[in-house]
Amino acid sequence: MDRTDFVTNALAMLVVVGVITLIGNTVGYDAGIVESIPGIVLIIAIGIVSLYLAREIPLELPSFAYAIFIAMVLALPFSPTQEVFLRYTDRISFLATATPILAYAGLSVSLQMDRLKQIGWKLVVVAVFVFFGTFFGSAIIAQTVLSFQGII
Amino acid sequence: MANTNTETDEPTDADSDGDRWDPIRVSGRWTFHLKAHVTVLLIVVVSEFIGTQTYPVGPGQVVILPMLYAVVFGMLLGYRVLGAYIDELRSVVPKEVSEISSPLIVVALMPLGVKYGTLVAPNFYDIIGAGPAFLLQELGNLGTIFLALPLALLLGLKREAIGSAVSIAREPTLGIITDLYGPDSPEGIGVLGTYLTGTFLGTLFFGILGGLAPITGLHPRAIAMACGMGSGSMMTACAGSLATAVSSVPEDEILAFAATSNLLTGLTGVYVVLFVGVPLINKLYGVLEPIIGRN
Repeated sequence: MDRTDFVTNALAMLVVVGVITLIGNTVGYDAGIVESIPGIVLIIAIGIVSLYLAREIPLELPSFAYAIFIAMVLALPFSPTQEVFLRYTDRISFLATATPILAYAGLSVSLQMDRLKQIGWKLVVVAVFVFFGTFFGSAIIAQTVLSFQGII
Repeated sequence: MANTNTETDEPTDADSDGDRWDPIRVSGRWTFHLKAHVTVLLIVVVSEFIGTQTYPVGPGQVVILPMLYAVVFGMLLGYRVLGAYIDELRSVVPKEVSEISSPLIVVALMPLGVKYGTLVAPNFYDIIGAGPAFLLQELGNLGTIFLALPLALLLGLKREAIGSAVSIAREPTLGIITDLYGPDSPEGIGVLGTYLTGTFLGTLFFGILGGLAPITGLHPRAIAMACGMGSGSMMTACAGSLATAVSSVPEDEILAFAATSNLLTGLTGVYVVLFVGVPLINKLYGVLEPIIGRN
């Protein structure tokens, strides 16, 4: 897919996701659709830039990281954009943006059913221990350092 | 890096094109796109309508967020799950819907990324203060090697143990191991096992763990950092449940700590796995395999 094709199709998909998010935001968090539109437009704009940057910049960085980073810069306490940016994006609930991702993720999982069946139960057991190990490994180190610093 | 062309939580191949993104092409494929996005819309509306449910379990809480219903509904509707038995369902949600959904995960992560950015920024000074903890807890991801490698060997795995236990295996690790050992090597099969288990169960697992983890007595801020283990959706399930379960730390702060940790994992994860994780697990394998390995 060439660059122009990618940008137009990705933008179309971002608009679709934006509409789904707006509706979910209304159903789950009682936000008005119309007053949430400026926020979703800002989100779509940052989204397309992030997808584009991840594709063009030869770093192993996910577009998700670019999106966090750009929004963070716009919302920093000393950014002149902070007040306006937060006022509009605040109308979109954090959890409302997560639900569509997981719906797409659930649907796409079917593509990998056969591969999972081949993998075998032993690797699934090991993976569960990997989850525990990563989670508690990080949490215990964080706990130690934070209490050493006197933050908690 | 190998082009994995599989369900991706985040894209890791900055220079990849063609295959992975092809399903988002709209022209000539209107019906499939309509089916895919209307299905997702219905899943979202039903999930949000049910809303967040919390169930006390001992001193902790099991928190079921709308996103957890969404992933379960999505899995059930797929063409290889209920669709395999119900022909009518498979015509509404055919294979093409799953193919479109795969790159759409990355697109749908953009609004979440922006929201995380808006949560990180106001907590900027707190996060700078906790800098050392953020950097060091990245090494905690290596904890997985010490816990999971011995278990894998006790279960009788051989070189598969290397791939499966080297890290939590999101896309960067999948790429590294596949590059180093090849996709059909024992190591490649191992890493695929952890990757796929995470893809199927990761959100549910961490969604439940995030709500229960405070039972351990660990501070919510430390748990929040642990939630940022490298996958956007797993982190969100984990931090969202944690924030719902605890009241001693503001929700925004928990989400901000998780997002920052995740951002750092995105920046450093590849290098930690490549330069520390892989050599470490190979060394440890050499030591442990003769002792506890089974034939």
